[in-house]
Amino acid sequence: MKKMIFKFALLAVLLVLMNWIYAKFFFKADLMRHSDEVELAWKVADDSCVMVYTGESSNHTFSWSDNDRRKISDFIFDHFPDERCGDMTKDASHGEVYYYLLANIPEDAPVETVIVTMNLRSFGYNWIESDLETPIQKQLVLLKDYPPLFNRFKLAFKAYDIKSVKEREDARTWHRKNDKLVFPYETSYDNVSDWDYTTAIKGIKNDDGSRDQQLTELACHFIKNYGFQIHDDNPRVKDFDNIVILAKERHWNLVFNLLAENVERAQTLVGDDLVFLMRQNRDYLVERYGNLENVTVVDNLEAVADQYFIDRNWTTEHYYEPGRRTVANNVADALSKYYPTH
Amino acid sequence: MLFNSIEYVIFLPIVVMLFYLLPHRFRWMMLLVASCTFYMWFVPKYILILLITIIVDYSAGILIEKHADNHKLKKRYLVISIVSTCLVLFIFKYLGFVNDNLVALCQSLNINLNTTVDLILPIGLSFHTFQSMSYVIEVYRGNQKAERNFGIYSLYVMFFPQLVTGPIERPGNLLRQLREEKKFEYDNISKGFRLIIFGLFIKMVVADNVGEYVDMIYAEPSKYSSWDIILGMFFYSFQIYGDFFGYSTIALGSAKLMGFDITDNFNTPYLSKSIAEFWHRWHISLSTWFRDYVYFPLGGSRVKFGRWALNIMVVFILSGIWHGAAWNFLFWGAAHGLLHIIEKAILNHLPEKENRGKLEKIVVDAFKIAKTFILVTLFWSLFRATSFANISDLFTSLVNNFGVTEHLHVENSIWVYLGLFILMDVLLFNSRFDRWCDNRSGVVRWAIYFVLIFMIIACSSVNNFPFIYFQF
Repeated sequence: MKKMIFKFALLAVLLVLMNWIYAKFFFKADLMRHSDEVELAWKVADDSCVMVYTGESSNHTFSWSDNDRRKISDFIFDHFPDERCGDMTKDASHGEVYYYLLANIPEDAPVETVIVTMNLRSFGYNWIESDLETPIQKQLVLLKDYPPLFNRFKLAFKAYDIKSVKEREDARTWHRKNDKLVFPYETSYDNVSDWDYTTAIKGIKNDDGSRDQQLTELACHFIKNYGFQIHDDNPRVKDFDNIVILAKERHWNLVFNLLAENVERAQTLVGDDLVFLMRQNRDYLVERYGNLENVTVVDNLEAVADQYFIDRNWTTEHYYEPGRRTVANNVADALSKYYPTH
Repeated sequence: MLFNSIEYVIFLPIVVMLFYLLPHRFRWMMLLVASCTFYMWFVPKYILILLITIIVDYSAGILIEKHADNHKLKKRYLVISIVSTCLVLFIFKYLGFVNDNLVALCQSLNINLNTTVDLILPIGLSFHTFQSMSYVIEVYRGNQKAERNFGIYSLYVMFFPQLVTGPIERPGNLLRQLREEKKFEYDNISKGFRLIIFGLFIKMVVADNVGEYVDMIYAEPSKYSSWDIILGMFFYSFQIYGDFFGYSTIALGSAKLMGFDITDNFNTPYLSKSIAEFWHRWHISLSTWFRDYVYFPLGGSRVKFGRWALNIMVVFILSGIWHGAAWNFLFWGAAHGLLHIIEKAILNHLPEKENRGKLEKIVVDAFKIAKTFILVTLFWSLFRATSFANISDLFTSLVNNFGVTEHLHVENSIWVYLGLFILMDVLLFNSRFDRWCDNRSGVVRWAIYFVLIFMIIACSSVNNFPFIYFQF
């Protein structure tokens, strides 16, 4: 037994040595290969940015008809020409990705203010358990705050939230059936599954009374994406809580940019119940984070009109130029309290 | 549970610790629970299928022994047992294939048949049904006493290190050991640990890394040059070897930690000088299973050449479809069988020259090894391809794309991993990693551990490659 204890101790010493070798000679290349978004964090430090925007696909445009095809972040930065600004945009990101991106900004970087995209839809299980989640989780492993070799070990042995497409689908279905929706009034459904079914059966009607299949599917899609209520145990809430803690540690001004959703279309297609949930969730987030010191929540939820949403058959936050400008102006207004001279 | 998963990294030490902490009489119970947990980690309900096989063969063993003097009755129980075990295998593995072919045949004859069979193959079904069958046959032959303890028999079929991908154990080896009291020995822990890290290295560093290139090439062969196709085939030879050898080595190591010796499944197969030798060195537990339970009963080699050739073809075709319910596996098996026959026919007419010089012998042996490796590699393409269209695409591109100037970029590290693996494989000729380490000094051993562990963690592929043989 003594022999074994000695060998285990030797193994532990070797592991420490391995960690040093890995961190010194391999880690950076691995980061670039498996978690390339970290370069965004390094770049804002290299560029000595004081203002940083973190975003996902909503930041860019997908419309060729826009006169100005620049990003929301660019429109924000236009208001602060004297400040060095940078953006960390990665499609399909959410709170957890932003947290690790921000945490990987070197501590000596001169960042003062961070603007973090807060996408209401990302709080729903349709997104939390989306098929993109497994690759995202894989990318985050190396960014975590553990010894590099331990992170690489977790990556090698698949010690992260790795689920198959079917498992994700099952998880989404489970939440649709089991997450109870509580309305302050009577409804014929108390979960997304029943609501979705009722809507699909009833269908959206055209003017001539015929069923519009495409709109019916879109209505169901809205229900699946916005039919949830945020509670304190929501994983995304934990991510944003962590961002708040990180910002406090780093003495950053933190601005949450609560993105505009197509509330108008939700109202038309599904009705008051869905809009009630969207507003209730917005209120939850504004209340939870809006009253914290050095944290501002910019409420853009209903700031963009239906006509400025690019995707007509999907619930995305992709806006035409006027929509992007509206969101940017609201954020810039909020930032003016940190930069009053602009 | 996968051997290269974090779950197994936690599960195995707990099981080993419990094994040594518990008194001998409780160990089999703990191992059975552990094995059930291990299996149910995949799809829990499939354990019921396993249970059917276990109940049938456990009962058959007892009944056969009970009627040892009544040959007719004994044989009847044997047949019932084999038929029911094979029926389970047939339903879950081959029914879909038979149905699809029947539907295709009917369609070509303008007969309306549209049945579908959509059953998922339980992991490792072919392995544990064969293991279970070998027990009944051995009891029938009188080589094995029927096991009366249902739990221990279940553990024999379900012993987690070799449950899903073998080695296919025989009762004479494993069942006996399950009853033996295993004492804690440092040597077993040390050897088991060595085997596990070596197995993980082969699987995670070699097989999975080259597998990324194999997947690219086989997905769209027409995009690649002929040299890339050759490279893809070469890589696949090492992917499948590394994958299966890696799994088997981890299985050996996991069992060894608790003092169990299970069958070696590989012995440097790519250094074989003939197809016959290859099958003595590749997936040994399956080859010997077919030898003992199919080939010998058919008459083996003590028959005329024609009959022997037929026996060989039967064994190899069965071996092919054992791997998978698809025509490509059948043709893969048949190709090996045919080549085996051709080799023997040629050897019969060209007797081995005995007085070769040392250099001449080396050259001739090297030629034979290269020839066997190239043939095996070519046949692996039948095994790897997803369809006949894929095979056709692969070989068409192989022949036509010599003019393609753009080549696949293979990272230098891949050559390092492969080179290391090939070197170790050659060094381990007719040996095994744990035994080979015994003859090295402590410093060399620890240096090897250091390199292997470091590479497993730092150089393994991050993509999710399930063990290839899981599908069988």
